[in-house]
Amino acid sequence: MQASSGMLTKFESKSSRAKGIAFHPKRPWILVSLHSSTIQLWDYRMGTLIDRFEEHDGPVRGVDFHKTQPLFVSGGDDYKIKVWSYQTRRCLFTLNGHLDYIRTVFFHHELPWIVSASDDQTIRIWNWQNRSLLCTMTGHNHYAMCAQFHPKEDLVVSASLDQSVRVWDISGLRKKHSAPTSMTFEDQVSRANANQTDMFGNTDAVVKFVLEGHDRGVNWVAFHPTMPLIVSAGDDRLIKLWRMSETKAWEVDTCRGHFQNASGCLFHPHQDLILSAGEDKTIRVWDLNKRTAVHSFKRENDRFWVIAAHPEINLFAAGHDNGVMVFKLERERPASTVYQNQLFYITKEKHVKSYDFQKNAESPTLLSLKKLGSPWVPPRTISYNPAERSILVTSPADNGSYELINLPRDGSGAIEPTESKRGAGNSAIFVARNRFAVLNTANQTVDIKDLTNNTTRSFKPPVGTSDIYFGGTGNLLIITPTVVHLYDIQQKKTTAELAVAGVKYVVWSNDGLYAALLSKHNVTIVTKALEQVSTLHETIRIKSATWDDAGVLLYSTLNHVKYTLLNGDNGIVRTLDQTVYLVRVKGRSVYCLDRSAKPKVLNIDPTEYRFKLALVKRNYEEMLHIIQNSSLVGQSIISYLQKKGYPEIALQFVQDPTTRFELAIECGNLEVAVEMAKQLDRPKLWSRLSAEALAHGNHSVVEMSYQKLKQFDKLSFLYLTTGDNSKLARMAKIAEHRGDFTSRFQNALYLGEVEDRIQMFKEIDLYPLAYMTAKSHGLEEECQSILEASGLSEDQLSLPKLGEPLSPPKPVVPTYKANWPTKATSVSFFEKALLGQVEGLSLEDEPSASNNAFGLEEAGDDDAATKRNGLADEDEDEDAAGWDLGDDIVPEVEEGFVNVESADAGGAGSSEADLWARNSPLAVDHVAGGSFETAMQLLNRQVGAVNFAPLKPRFLEVYQASKTYLPASAGLPALVNYVRRTVEESDPRKVLPIIPRDLEYLATNDLHRGHDSMKSNKLEEGLEIFKGILHAVLINAVSSESEVADAKKLITSASEYAVAMAIELGRRQLGSTDVVNKDPKLLKRSLEMSAYFTIPKIEVPHRQLALLNAMNLAVRSKNYNTALSFANRILANGGGGKILDTARKIKAQCERNPHDAVEIEFDQFAEFEVCAASHTPIYSGTSYEECAFDGSKYHTKYKGTVCAVCGVCEVGKHGSGLKLFA
Amino acid sequence: MDPYSAEGELINIHNHFHQGQYQEVVDFDASALSSENAVPARVLQLRARVALGQAEDVLADVQGETESELEAVGALAEQALGNTDAAVKTVEKLAQEAADNSTVQTLGGTILQAAGKSEEALALLSQHQGNLEAVALIVQIHLQQNRTDLAVKEVAAARRWAQDSLLVNLAESWVGLRLGGEKYQQAFYVFEELAQAPATSSVRNLVSQAVAELHLGRTEEAQAALDQALKKEPDFADGIANLLVLNVITGRDPKEVTGSLEQVDASHPFLTDLAEKSDLFDKAATKYKARVSA
Repeated sequence: MQASSGMLTKFESKSSRAKGIAFHPKRPWILVSLHSSTIQLWDYRMGTLIDRFEEHDGPVRGVDFHKTQPLFVSGGDDYKIKVWSYQTRRCLFTLNGHLDYIRTVFFHHELPWIVSASDDQTIRIWNWQNRSLLCTMTGHNHYAMCAQFHPKEDLVVSASLDQSVRVWDISGLRKKHSAPTSMTFEDQVSRANANQTDMFGNTDAVVKFVLEGHDRGVNWVAFHPTMPLIVSAGDDRLIKLWRMSETKAWEVDTCRGHFQNASGCLFHPHQDLILSAGEDKTIRVWDLNKRTAVHSFKRENDRFWVIAAHPEINLFAAGHDNGVMVFKLERERPASTVYQNQLFYITKEKHVKSYDFQKNAESPTLLSLKKLGSPWVPPRTISYNPAERSILVTSPADNGSYELINLPRDGSGAIEPTESKRGAGNSAIFVARNRFAVLNTANQTVDIKDLTNNTTRSFKPPVGTSDIYFGGTGNLLIITPTVVHLYDIQQKKTTAELAVAGVKYVVWSNDGLYAALLSKHNVTIVTKALEQVSTLHETIRIKSATWDDAGVLLYSTLNHVKYTLLNGDNGIVRTLDQTVYLVRVKGRSVYCLDRSAKPKVLNIDPTEYRFKLALVKRNYEEMLHIIQNSSLVGQSIISYLQKKGYPEIALQFVQDPTTRFELAIECGNLEVAVEMAKQLDRPKLWSRLSAEALAHGNHSVVEMSYQKLKQFDKLSFLYLTTGDNSKLARMAKIAEHRGDFTSRFQNALYLGEVEDRIQMFKEIDLYPLAYMTAKSHGLEEECQSILEASGLSEDQLSLPKLGEPLSPPKPVVPTYKANWPTKATSVSFFEKALLGQVEGLSLEDEPSASNNAFGLEEAGDDDAATKRNGLADEDEDEDAAGWDLGDDIVPEVEEGFVNVESADAGGAGSSEADLWARNSPLAVDHVAGGSFETAMQLLNRQVGAVNFAPLKPRFLEVYQASKTYLPASAGLPALVNYVRRTVEESDPRKVLPIIPRDLEYLATNDLHRGHDSMKSNKLEEGLEIFKGILHAVLINAVSSESEVADAKKLITSASEYAVAMAIELGRRQLGSTDVVNKDPKLLKRSLEMSAYFTIPKIEVPHRQLALLNAMNLAVRSKNYNTALSFANRILANGGGGKILDTARKIKAQCERNPHDAVEIEFDQFAEFEVCAASHTPIYSGTSYEECAFDGSKYHTKYKGTVCAVCGVCEVGKHGSGLKLFA
Repeated sequence: MDPYSAEGELINIHNHFHQGQYQEVVDFDASALSSENAVPARVLQLRARVALGQAEDVLADVQGETESELEAVGALAEQALGNTDAAVKTVEKLAQEAADNSTVQTLGGTILQAAGKSEEALALLSQHQGNLEAVALIVQIHLQQNRTDLAVKEVAAARRWAQDSLLVNLAESWVGLRLGGEKYQQAFYVFEELAQAPATSSVRNLVSQAVAELHLGRTEEAQAALDQALKKEPDFADGIANLLVLNVITGRDPKEVTGSLEQVDASHPFLTDLAEKSDLFDKAATKYKARVSA
């Protein structure tokens, strides 16, 4: 039997003696009736007292919640049964009738009935709807201590101090009181009669069985939820198990162990267990099938009086002398571990299963761990070793044990592990591919063991170590109650430590850079070097955590999924209706295990934390994307941004002008501030703006603000400081106009206009001042005239000593002309993006076709759009080249010719490179194997390749990619290994080399570059690119038949482009426009070639460019008829934009005069191809030759020359066809 | 007791050497060792110095020493300096006198194999008795001769008596990279474990990790490991060679890396081999010609 260490207490209350307990079926509530007459309603999850009900007089012994209604019932020593509403928080009514203490009260599971047991020796059934007594069951001849309804059948079981347990049949009662659906008259009569004749007999409720066996009073009795079993607890300290059939009932067995009165007992709702509580201060757990003790939990001082089970979840409560405790028997956290896309976990049945996150599928049972540990103790942890495909499972049974087991490749049911290694330890985890660490807390050692379970090294961890976790390669995280240590296994010492109390779990981020340390109420994020990054506190219990790929930690509490960023910023993701253990986040899905160890997927909205993360990382593209694609607006995000110091970003979201103004001021965006101030036009805003603008030195904004505020003085001074004399003069005028003399004086002072000042003084009769001013500036005449006007003479005046006349400083720099050049406030990326200026973010992702020399004056976005449209249609574009030889006629390459040149000398084997050549009939594999001769041979046979020089770079490229150099023993050259494209393969007859720049790469990279060069008119470059593509495809391999078709498409396309570009380049080489125009022969050729340029089957948007080019040239040479045909073709190709407009215009122009001035060899109605060598037409019907590789066409006279397009193959030489797939 | 076993005195220095942490070997404080381990420790330190390119100093150091171990080290230094013939001569002499000396076996094997005398090397090495270094060398020689089958047998045999030694793990990984398939991943684990633990990380095992990644087709991870390695030692020729291969595989222009490899080690097998193949190509291409010249 195990000591009480396993008890998982979830809640405890302090009160007087608790006599009755009831769990709410849905909410985390528990009702406790006390000896002190109070009934308490607790939230055991939050640990808070919700309510108190105090109407009983004296102890309350029985309470019960109604299953569906907001009701509960209580019965007390005041003989009263009370029915309460917890919503209105009052007693609804009282049922009177019992004549002594009431021991228990219970609701019926479906009928509106209550059963009560009383010291008056009766058991009564009440209807709480019409508040009547239905039935009184007599028979016990001592106190009835407990009575309960059967959960399904019409039975009641009761226990009494008369030492008996009785089972009552109440089916008669149900019949009598069930709804009168179809009742005959006789029935009604008999029913009425029955009711009356019921005076003494108990036809409604008859004793079915009397169970005798206890030799003291029985305190409690309970039915099993599903099986025909009864358990009872008595003062004889025994727990008895009874079984019943239809006709009889008998005692099955007795559980002995309590050494004081047993006061309560019950069946575990889901497991084959019995729980009992007694006055010996213990709670005991018994195996229902073996009737042996499984656990016992002892309390120091308190006798237990009652025990109850939650109907749904794995929770129990027991009432004792000083309150109640809510507890669990076992941990419900399923042991689980995640490796890449797989979750390994242990189910309630102790089966090991895996779950694939990609397929969202559970595996069948991989392994059964039934034999591990004791049957009632679930495994605690599982650790997975991908290299060995083994698991390490720990169990708290037998004071901690671990087991190392290999997983079978694929599960096929509950297989017992064939071979396992076990040992004692409290924690066991893999620390390396072939090592695991085992912690033994009792003797405080950590052993490092190898896979054969031998200890390779052993050390003493820091004092008080309670758990160990993986700490990164070669390290352990050692958990003590107050400190976490990072321990280097090699050096046997702590390399870092961090004071975090009560850590229970450690969760590593996917990249292994961060770990989250979870304790009961705290999450601490640390780096892999155990430096604290952030920490947060939760009032509610933290259950689990997992990392998002982006470095956001999602954690679950009892009722929420929350997130935290590395900087500690956190929030709620969603609420939970049941506790789950998170294991993985992927996109919008959170994978978790619930308490029954079933994998579940929760959907979440990651927008909020992604946004915040993007903000922290300043990843504005991501932010913009989020803003555009989700409804993330509103006050919360604005205030968040502002609070976090990103007013400039918040500014982008705000519409409200006042807020915008505030934000603009905060981030110094004067433009926006001015705009908003204008809109609002409030003096307060203007003055704030002026202050801010002044600080920025932006005087024009300051000026505007002062003007708005009519602050003339400040304006004048501003003009003085900026040296704007003309405006100062105007200010003086305004002042004069306003009759504001002070202002006028000031302005005059600023302007240095002495006369004006004197004039002003005179106007306001301040002659002495006028005189003084004149005098000090040496204006004697003026002095005289003043004296005269005032009728005084100079002698009459006593003058102070005059200093130098004051003159205002002269502006050095005309500051007023412009604002000081301030450093351009860098427009954040984000703002740009919002303004649509950022490439790649706006929908128009190609700003314009650059440097378009095809005669397009303005290649607008419209053109780009048409190009894209055209490209989108790419697939529909029929590759009409008649080159496809069909695979059927490709003869198999004979094996015989393969050059086997393995040098057997010196006992050496043949290298893998040689194998490649043997394994494959593809030229590329021979190249990679370094067997160039055979590769050339193959190409010659397949496509008539004769000129290999252009292929040299490709040959060497493929060859270079084939080998790696592994540094091995010191002093010897590196070991050469061969890189395969068949990574999974180990059969030497099937291995094949890796191919750089495979088909997919070419199609996504090179082809696009080629198209771009076409668009931007870099034809030489383009020609090289397309030839490069041809060479790369020639020496290549694909993985399926369908890819062969893709490759052929690519070859054809590249070939057509190469021909087209070569024609246009040829035309340009004829000479400059002037030279060509002067020479009629050249002009003719030029026009012809421009026409041929439109023939190759290139992408429609590109062909439009060729057509436009040809059309413009034709018009310029007055070949209106030909031009008309081009215009028509352009229009027929459709699309939009500039090209079509031009074509329409030219069409109109040409239709007026559809004649050609220069006769050329181009029949717009004839079908023809262009000879790739001579760039002249090959009309359909005439014979031609072609290149067996790229399909370019030639006049017959070119037979035998090297193909002008690929530069490799001989024209007209027909081979077996290119082989890319074996 | 085997001084190289897990509890032996030499385990750390021995592991450092084979993990490619040569500087740590040189810095190892050998003064506290017991007398019978002093010579092996000195040999390891001298070998580490040779590996670090201080062959001349080493040669001067062992000048005039008569112990076979030190003579063998001298030969190794000679060879590192390019005097292969002299080195081979010394080894052949030592092979006559002290073929049962494990240092003579390993160093002799190394020198002979480097001189292209694989048969002689194998003959000398096969006389070993429980010398894991010799096993590793035999495995490497077999692999160089493309006799993967023999290498597999050798490793399997060694596994039986030295279950978990570093050298056996390494040798097994070398073989694994030849075999491919699942073995790639297992080899990767070994290299990664060494490369990513700060105590055992070295340029050589980082490069090895990268090679394993490359074979597994994980080019990005390979790139990361190589970057890490070349950051530690930018002149490590094998690292550069592998980077070059990686660049080619991922379709990037390898020109720059080729340049740096030429600078660091113009005679690296990659370059010599490539030059050879380039000539081969030119020669082979002359066999073909168009019937009509354009």
